[in-house]
Amino acid sequence: MPPAITVDRVSQLFAGANGAPDALALDTVSLEIGRGEFVCLLGPSGCGKSTLLNIIGGLIAPTSGTVTVGATPVRGPLPRDVAFVFQESTLLPWYTVLENFRVSLEFQERRNGWREHAMTALSSVGMQGFAGFYPSQLSIGMKQRINLARGIALDTGILLMDEPFAALDEQTRLVLGEDLSVLLARTGKTIVFVTHSLSEAVMLADTIVVMTARPGKVKSVIAVAEPHPRSPDFMLQPRFSEVRNQCYELLRDEIRVTVDAMREARDARPS
Amino acid sequence: MQSVAAKPPSAAAIRWWTIAGLVLLWEAAARLLGDPAFVAPPSLVLRTLPELLGDPKVVAALGTALLEIVTAFILAVIAGAIVGIAIGLTTLGRRTFYPFVLLLFGLPQVVVLPLVILIFGLGPASRIAFGFTHGVLPIMVTTITGMRSVSPLLISSARSQGATQAQMLRHIIFPTMIATVFTGLRLAMSLTLLGVVLAELFVSTNGIGNYTQIFAETFKPGKLYGLILVLAVTAVALNEIVALVEARFSRWKQS
Amino acid sequence: MLAQAKVERRLTALSHLIQLAVIVAAVGAWAFLTSAHAINPLFLPAPLAVLKALVHLVGSRGFWGAVGVTTFTTAVAYAIAASAGIVLGFFIGRSPTLTAAYRPVLAGLFAIPLTLFFPLFVVMFGLGPASKIAFGALYGFFPIVLNTIAGFSGIDRLFLRSAQSQGATRAQTLRHIFLPGAWPVVLAGLRIGFFITFASVLGGETLSSAAGVGYSIAHEGDLLDSPPMFAWIAIVLTVTVLLNLALTVLEKRAVRSS
Repeated sequence: MPPAITVDRVSQLFAGANGAPDALALDTVSLEIGRGEFVCLLGPSGCGKSTLLNIIGGLIAPTSGTVTVGATPVRGPLPRDVAFVFQESTLLPWYTVLENFRVSLEFQERRNGWREHAMTALSSVGMQGFAGFYPSQLSIGMKQRINLARGIALDTGILLMDEPFAALDEQTRLVLGEDLSVLLARTGKTIVFVTHSLSEAVMLADTIVVMTARPGKVKSVIAVAEPHPRSPDFMLQPRFSEVRNQCYELLRDEIRVTVDAMREARDARPS
Repeated sequence: MQSVAAKPPSAAAIRWWTIAGLVLLWEAAARLLGDPAFVAPPSLVLRTLPELLGDPKVVAALGTALLEIVTAFILAVIAGAIVGIAIGLTTLGRRTFYPFVLLLFGLPQVVVLPLVILIFGLGPASRIAFGFTHGVLPIMVTTITGMRSVSPLLISSARSQGATQAQMLRHIIFPTMIATVFTGLRLAMSLTLLGVVLAELFVSTNGIGNYTQIFAETFKPGKLYGLILVLAVTAVALNEIVALVEARFSRWKQS
Repeated sequence: MLAQAKVERRLTALSHLIQLAVIVAAVGAWAFLTSAHAINPLFLPAPLAVLKALVHLVGSRGFWGAVGVTTFTTAVAYAIAASAGIVLGFFIGRSPTLTAAYRPVLAGLFAIPLTLFFPLFVVMFGLGPASKIAFGALYGFFPIVLNTIAGFSGIDRLFLRSAQSQGATRAQTLRHIFLPGAWPVVLAGLRIGFFITFASVLGGETLSSAAGVGYSIAHEGDLLDSPPMFAWIAIVLTVTVLLNLALTVLEKRAVRSS
């Protein structure tokens, strides 16, 4: 069975604005992600993990290299195969929650039975009571839950998530992480999840891709052998700490490099 | 532990007591110090109101002014929104034309009032034109700046869901534009009011300007004050209506 | 993607080019329409006629007299508006209760066309500068007081509590937190207030006056003499633009150095 996603030597160069030098965000990244696998992209800020996610999802075209989803080369968004969940809620503020689902499913050209579909997705995250609310009436945690529900409702084989829980408090994060694990076990979706939280990565992922500081390269790929759905008790096991420590050692130097680079940039800037 | 002092007066109480105090001061000062040819106490103003509003010609002048304001406002909103959207749609358009708009917005339009009267005559047309030029600019400014606020994240999200350009226009760009036009609505009403009132007062041969002159020259301060009061109340009412309309359309913004 | 920066630069250059073209086209259209007698010269006199009138105007004594009256009126009106606005704004803005009490009233009043009250000022103070000073001061007072209230009431309570916990005296709190925090907003209010006072004075002079720039413009309109009227308008608009530039620069400098 072909892998769900193949990333083949992808590099990304961003043009410098207003005389700034060009920036190499990703340097020859290659990955293979299997069907039903939960992969975490873990790395320091600015290492290009969000860029890589956007490239996989067809929102950005890479400067060089190719991405293949299933058997199709990626040349643009794939609304039927790939769904995004962003860090901030991308619910349209002028529509109610339910109307948002209708519009998203309409984009996907799925008009029949959209209401039941939407309500089912909302129920799976416990938000069915808020279908008639406007986003501004909801808390950040609730909005992100609904964001997630919408990603699920789109019924794609692949879910790309860019630090979806970063703006949430610890408890909500844990709960939603659990929900995600259950979802994966039940639906067999392929999930690519960007984070810079070590615990989150180890808790959720089957495979952790540790990236270097900018320009981003794959530093190491670590497997986490624990079946989904994972119980919160997994965090108490020694295996969890081992993997976590392993990731920390790999990351520590990259974080240091990133911080030093930031200091350099700050000192070099004319005041 | 909270101190057991007397509860401080509420903001609303302070406000209304101050207003009441000022009105009383006006009454007293007008009666004791004011020349009755020029100054009218509030009691006199209220007493002459029925007589003022009973005069059909005065009412006609008020009605014409109201019509001019509403017409100028509607024209300003439509024209301002269309031009503002056209300018703000592209980065080139915005960079090229927004500076012109801002420049015009900062000018004292009153200096072209005599010219507007020359061109449009002494009737309602000049009042509508002058109100229009006042109200159209804030709509353009808020629309142009608002177009920039189309969230790139929402666009990315819609793209990833397979939205076409037309769908993005309808579900993201258009609602953003409408929202920004609405933020300029209240200011546009204030300024339209200003333009129409200026033009009305300038032309003293008919309309409101005629009656302010008559009441002043025949030493009827009660009627003069009364006329102004009616207009001021109308202005407040119009502002409130616009605010209500804006609130009704911005229900999703509450937080 | 590498062309991003180049596209950016080209866009700015193109926008400037179009702006220049628009201005040239406007002036060209003006010259063409007037020379082809396509428009009533009363509504739009020929550019040369306006230029001649402008030169003649600036040399005349009446010009400087009018400018003097308007300048004096604006200066006095603004001084009153600024002092009253800042003092009142300070006392109201410092107290949350007073802010809640008076800000809505002041904002509401500012939204109505205060020009309505101008005939009252004429009745009380006559056709001379006094009525325009009163009117200009009244109108300019509002943005200043509203911005001053906003400036002082908008100081984050967190800063005040932090200063309090560090043992700052009232004078120190005033000097190090209130003033620097409120300063930019107050300055913006002073700038807006100036232009509103200026426009109000001009408006008052146009409506009912015996002297001043506004009166001159209305007078030329009465005489159906367009070239000098246009000359006056051009002068006022140019002065306004220059003043706006100057005040904006001053405001930026004052904010930065505080």
